[in-house]
Amino acid sequence: MDLSLSETQEEFRKVAADFVKAEVPAHQMTQWYKNKQTFQPQLVKKAGEIGWLGMMLPEQYGGSEVSATDCAVVFEELGRGPVPGPLFTSGILAAQIIFEACAEEQRKILLPPLCKGESIVVPAITDKAAYWGQEAVETRLSKTASGYIMNGTKPFVFDAQAATSFLCAARTEEGKVVFLVIDAQSPGITITPHIGFLVSVAEVRFDKVAVPSSNLLGSSGASWTTLQAALDRALPVLCAYQVGASQEVFDITCEYTRTRVVFGQPIGRFQRVQDHCVDISIYLDQARWATYETLWRLDSGMPARAAVHEAKAIASEGYYQATNYAHMVWAGPGTDYGHPMMAHSVLAHTLYQYLGTPGQHKRLMMDSLFPRA
Amino acid sequence: MDFNVSADPAHVVEFRKEVGAWLAEQFAGHEHLRWSASWSTRENDEEYKFRRGLAEKLGAKGWLFPLYPKKYGGAELTVDHQMVLETELFKYGLNLSHTFYTLARIVAPVLIRWGSEEQKTEFLEPITRAKICVWQVLTEPHGGSDIANCQTKAIRDGNDYIVNGQKVMVGHHLPPDFLWTLVCTNPQGKRHENLAWLHIPASLAGITIQHMNLMMGIKNAVFFDNVRVPAKYLIGGENNGWKVASTHMELEHGGDGRIAVDPLIERVIDYCRKTRIDGKPIIEDPGVRDLIADMMIELNTLRRFNQLIYWRRFAKKPHPYGGPQQRYYQRMMRLRNGERLQAIMGADALVQDLSVHEVVDFEYAVRTGPGQLHGGGTLDTDRLIFARRLGLGRPTTEKAPETD
Repeated sequence: MDLSLSETQEEFRKVAADFVKAEVPAHQMTQWYKNKQTFQPQLVKKAGEIGWLGMMLPEQYGGSEVSATDCAVVFEELGRGPVPGPLFTSGILAAQIIFEACAEEQRKILLPPLCKGESIVVPAITDKAAYWGQEAVETRLSKTASGYIMNGTKPFVFDAQAATSFLCAARTEEGKVVFLVIDAQSPGITITPHIGFLVSVAEVRFDKVAVPSSNLLGSSGASWTTLQAALDRALPVLCAYQVGASQEVFDITCEYTRTRVVFGQPIGRFQRVQDHCVDISIYLDQARWATYETLWRLDSGMPARAAVHEAKAIASEGYYQATNYAHMVWAGPGTDYGHPMMAHSVLAHTLYQYLGTPGQHKRLMMDSLFPRA
Repeated sequence: MDFNVSADPAHVVEFRKEVGAWLAEQFAGHEHLRWSASWSTRENDEEYKFRRGLAEKLGAKGWLFPLYPKKYGGAELTVDHQMVLETELFKYGLNLSHTFYTLARIVAPVLIRWGSEEQKTEFLEPITRAKICVWQVLTEPHGGSDIANCQTKAIRDGNDYIVNGQKVMVGHHLPPDFLWTLVCTNPQGKRHENLAWLHIPASLAGITIQHMNLMMGIKNAVFFDNVRVPAKYLIGGENNGWKVASTHMELEHGGDGRIAVDPLIERVIDYCRKTRIDGKPIIEDPGVRDLIADMMIELNTLRRFNQLIYWRRFAKKPHPYGGPQQRYYQRMMRLRNGERLQAIMGADALVQDLSVHEVVDFEYAVRTGPGQLHGGGTLDTDRLIFARRLGLGRPTTEKAPETD
């Protein structure tokens, strides 16, 4: 048993921490979130140069073949920013889906540019706001002489505005759910960013979009099972990102209790304020250790499906609650869109249901441990 | 990272076989006493006798405190050996901390840290070899969690201390050999600087022990009436009691850690598979599944917190707030899980089942919720310590005391 990071992982972490400091300073980051300019192309380019995009992939596709834990250590630091943009969506999730679904030829076409940051592939999976599962795939594919015509609306696509192409789930005329990539510039695609208590999310409409047959992933479009295999590796990395973000919320909030003076003393001397910090720490640490135990299971080749769902449920709920309890401490100043708390708060609410709500992942955990009759 | 507690390095592979075979031999004919790792609230003398006997046999081999020097009753083994012992004992629901109802696991490290060489030589071995049972005797009727406000007096008289006062809600239903306690040596002295720690033989004249029947079982009131305690039982020096108390409390308050899984959830699953409504097992019910999921996740979180603390302790990486965090979480979790049990099984969760061991008895689990909110300090003191360690509202942070 050894619950510390390896030397290499400590180095990875330092590189990521320095990156956040240099490229995503708090004043800059808050402006990006405030103005909904969360796609910053220079960040993707630099992440590609450092080797963070597709970093779990084998080298022949542009990756560095690092372990899931190595990758998570980097993303935990990026979460501290929180660094915005498609580093996870394209660099980890899309990369893993393509890797799982495709044979050699397609991998060689799709993955190297993704790893360099030249292409940004954004997954657009379900057609429902909250439900996560293949039942929620309603976008239709109709067969034509040369390929398919796609019709449908993906109402909530995270990082949609960064996409050079979309990785979509769609339903064939036979009712089968398949996966395909579509050039984001294709005629018939409309991207409408959402306005509200969420960030980096847009509705993407596909109106009679022509798709060549060769854009299906794998020989026949792969399946939901393929997606699940990709999610097993990708979700814990997203969890680590949320852990890093929660850690940042915890750290800045604890520091605030030392400097903010009200009623003649630092607010951290008030036991009720202390209690909020205790609650944040619990949400943070339960997410941290569920995430790293899951990563260890993955890297050791142990069964990890239930653990992945558990970690996703805990980390999404944890980040969300960490920001809620932090707001109790920050009060008025924390509600200014120009304050880092607001970037975290809006992001935490956005990631809560991204790729499935905590409630759904708890049910998936149960189904994985105790299949229903 | 490596969360595996049984990935044995080469030097303990044989040891695991040895321990496994030895324990199997000890448990032959006593299999029904598996899963008895908690502080039982049942007055089960067969169980107590067996466990105390097992502890003595472990102690004779130096296996209760495998890391300690042989002269103190240890075996001079490595942390890896200790992990083997913990994981093998765990197969029977036991662990080194709770082999039987004594505070040895906390008392011995405190003695190592604060005892003089003579004291270690005299006092440690009976404890580490499980020849005696020690009670922690701290709470006073008027003090509650505020143990520094200690009213039990120990006034020096020649080579002795004369002890007068009362402690409450301590021990269990069988008598102790020693009382491990905090006393006030200077009633006029400054708070925290007027205390001393005593290791008092329970057989001394003037000590009376009276049962208290409480929610969590039998506890006791201990009365000291002009008890003459020889000064050789003073641990850590005069007026240094608060420092000794800090080491003690860090171990008691979650700083100990453990590598064990709570067996309760398995029995809950079993119940939900066997209980049918309209012909269908209730484990198929979506509402029940949601409750089980939350219960399971929180038990997993607690297991991970415990393992983390265990590792930090032996890797010598003290953490400022891991202990109070674990303790606060555990207490709140028990309350939530108690309610979940009742939500799943209604009154079945309130009926004691003597055919199963206490740690998997639903009634015990429900009762443990409110029943263990306060032992060793309330959950509010947990949060208070947490805040100090974090330095909330303060320019400096408080360090975790040293433990061994």
